[in-house]
Amino acid sequence: MLDQLGNGLLLGIIISVASVALSLLYGVTRIVNFAHGEIIALGAIATLFFSSPLDYRVLFLEKFSPLGLNFAISCFLAILVCGLFGGLLEVFLFRPLRKNDVGNIAVLVVTIGLSILVRHLYLLFATGRVQNFPLELQRRQTYLFFDMTPRNFNVLIAGIIVMIIVGLLLTYTRLGKAMRAVRDSEELSSVSGINSDNIILLTWVASSMLAGLAGIFQATINDVRWNMGFLILLLIFAGTVLGGIGTSFGAMVGGFMIGILVQVSVGLPFMEGHAEAKNAVALAVMILILLFRPQGIFGQKERIS
Amino acid sequence: MITKRFSLQFIFALSISIFSIYLVFFLNPDGAIRILLNLVTFAGIYGLSAIGLNVHFGWTGLLNFGHASFMGVGAYVTLLLMPHAAGREGVVVTTGLPFFVALIIGILAAALFGLLLGLPAIRLRGDYLAIVTIAAAEIFRLLVRDLESITGGVYGIINYTENFQKYRPSFIDELSDNLGFSASQGWVCLAAWISIFFTVLFLKRLSKSPWGRALRAVREDEDAVRAMGKNAVWLKLQSFMLGAGIAGLSGVLLAFNYGSLESTVFIPLLTFYVWAIMILGGVGTITGPIFGSIIFWVIISETDRLAYLLFENANGQQLAGVRFLLVGVLIMFLMIFRPSGLLGKKEELLLDVK
Repeated sequence: MLDQLGNGLLLGIIISVASVALSLLYGVTRIVNFAHGEIIALGAIATLFFSSPLDYRVLFLEKFSPLGLNFAISCFLAILVCGLFGGLLEVFLFRPLRKNDVGNIAVLVVTIGLSILVRHLYLLFATGRVQNFPLELQRRQTYLFFDMTPRNFNVLIAGIIVMIIVGLLLTYTRLGKAMRAVRDSEELSSVSGINSDNIILLTWVASSMLAGLAGIFQATINDVRWNMGFLILLLIFAGTVLGGIGTSFGAMVGGFMIGILVQVSVGLPFMEGHAEAKNAVALAVMILILLFRPQGIFGQKERIS
Repeated sequence: MITKRFSLQFIFALSISIFSIYLVFFLNPDGAIRILLNLVTFAGIYGLSAIGLNVHFGWTGLLNFGHASFMGVGAYVTLLLMPHAAGREGVVVTTGLPFFVALIIGILAAALFGLLLGLPAIRLRGDYLAIVTIAAAEIFRLLVRDLESITGGVYGIINYTENFQKYRPSFIDELSDNLGFSASQGWVCLAAWISIFFTVLFLKRLSKSPWGRALRAVREDEDAVRAMGKNAVWLKLQSFMLGAGIAGLSGVLLAFNYGSLESTVFIPLLTFYVWAIMILGGVGTITGPIFGSIIFWVIISETDRLAYLLFENANGQQLAGVRFLLVGVLIMFLMIFRPSGLLGKKEELLLDVK
């Protein structure tokens, strides 16, 4: 069971970063974003496109050539692309919907349509093959009592640092305070001089950039697939719900707990020989949490029925 | 006035459906009958499923995104109760119940699963219910895939169609000889449309009954229903069971249409297909999903041409990609520009819930 703990932490950091992004967006806009997974996949696919060697032709049909940039620069550019994508979504899709007073449920269905559309664009233009970043293979080492490769260990540390930074930004900067104000009440924050449209736009950009980062983490630890975002989306929902939907700190912890739960549940006695069903355990926990403590572990009590 | 507008909408929907069927003949000079039968069979099965979903969402306002699991429960319970072969080695089970008994148990099992999944519906607001239902459907699919000794897992179930095909009336065989289509699919198609006919008849009566009115009242204002002394919780659960049962029946028909069944049939995309059909046809209507389904399947079956336009020598993956992409666009655009679909009434939509 302990040997799975390292894997659990790695899955946890992916879900955790993605959950913070989802939770931030939900908190400010009240949108349950089913297209979140597609932004995650965009981060990974864009990085792959920027960083793959020039003669690499598997991805992006025959017509396009990857750019062959330095890997770190590729990651940075990919995160910018994700932020841009999120911003465009807000400006051209979700802002008009909000101005027309389209209800939350209709917006939820729109995000599902968007998710199907974008995911299959990836299938068409990034092919259905499983691919890897152009990084050399590494041997596993022991850190404390976890086994992981040095690169994955760096991913873990980087993820934790990013989340501490996000937490500090949300708590102490003007922007973070404005986001939390809009989350609590859009009307009251407008009255006190906050331009809620700008804040929501910035939230979309920030959330998408974090999602893109989660995608890069996932692709570094595992691989790049066209449907990688959708495969992990329900686990991200589980992480968000477990921590308390709309709370950033809760989403961090909830994401880690779900990641560890999924990987450790492989070692449970009744799961022997049923490793494929490990995601089911996390989803079942999420349903139970929603039924009996719908505000999550860290959420404030609020009537949600 | 309202009835007049409704009938105009109805004629409009009908003519679009007839036109799209004509389009199939026009685009496929050879073998149109075979293509059409395949299309109409799928349209019937998915239409039936969408009618069930409409009971959930259109009538009662329950945001159900786990519809595939209701179809799955119906299909798996029915098939496993009949003689079949399952798993990697194809373990043969020769004993079993007759088809109609198994079917009824399958539908009841789906309804019971609906009751189970409906329990959260009492406590949860719309968007949370969406997450719970989609998660429960995934749990169901993962369990089916995992319990290989019973369900056949990824290897699936085979050799069960005879249980149903032995009831095939002889006139279908004669027709299939003359027109050149598969007799077994013809029988599934007929069964699907008979099911739709009786389901619609049943629901039409039900929607005019006090029970149907109370159900729609739950959608509009739950507190008012409580104030009138009705049990809103139990009404929601009944709605969940009814819609799930209808979905279970459509799942059984889907299994007989495929001829073999494995867990990947019930991926979330199946639910989204049914959603697209329901929105296209008209949320809250009874006959809407039928037209929605026919038009949807004509679009789906003719997208391959589009794929060949975009990609020379498109492979199966690209064909599927273009097809699903179109489903996504359809869902998005309908929801943005015409959320009431072909037949729906705008006043009956429960979409502006905050």
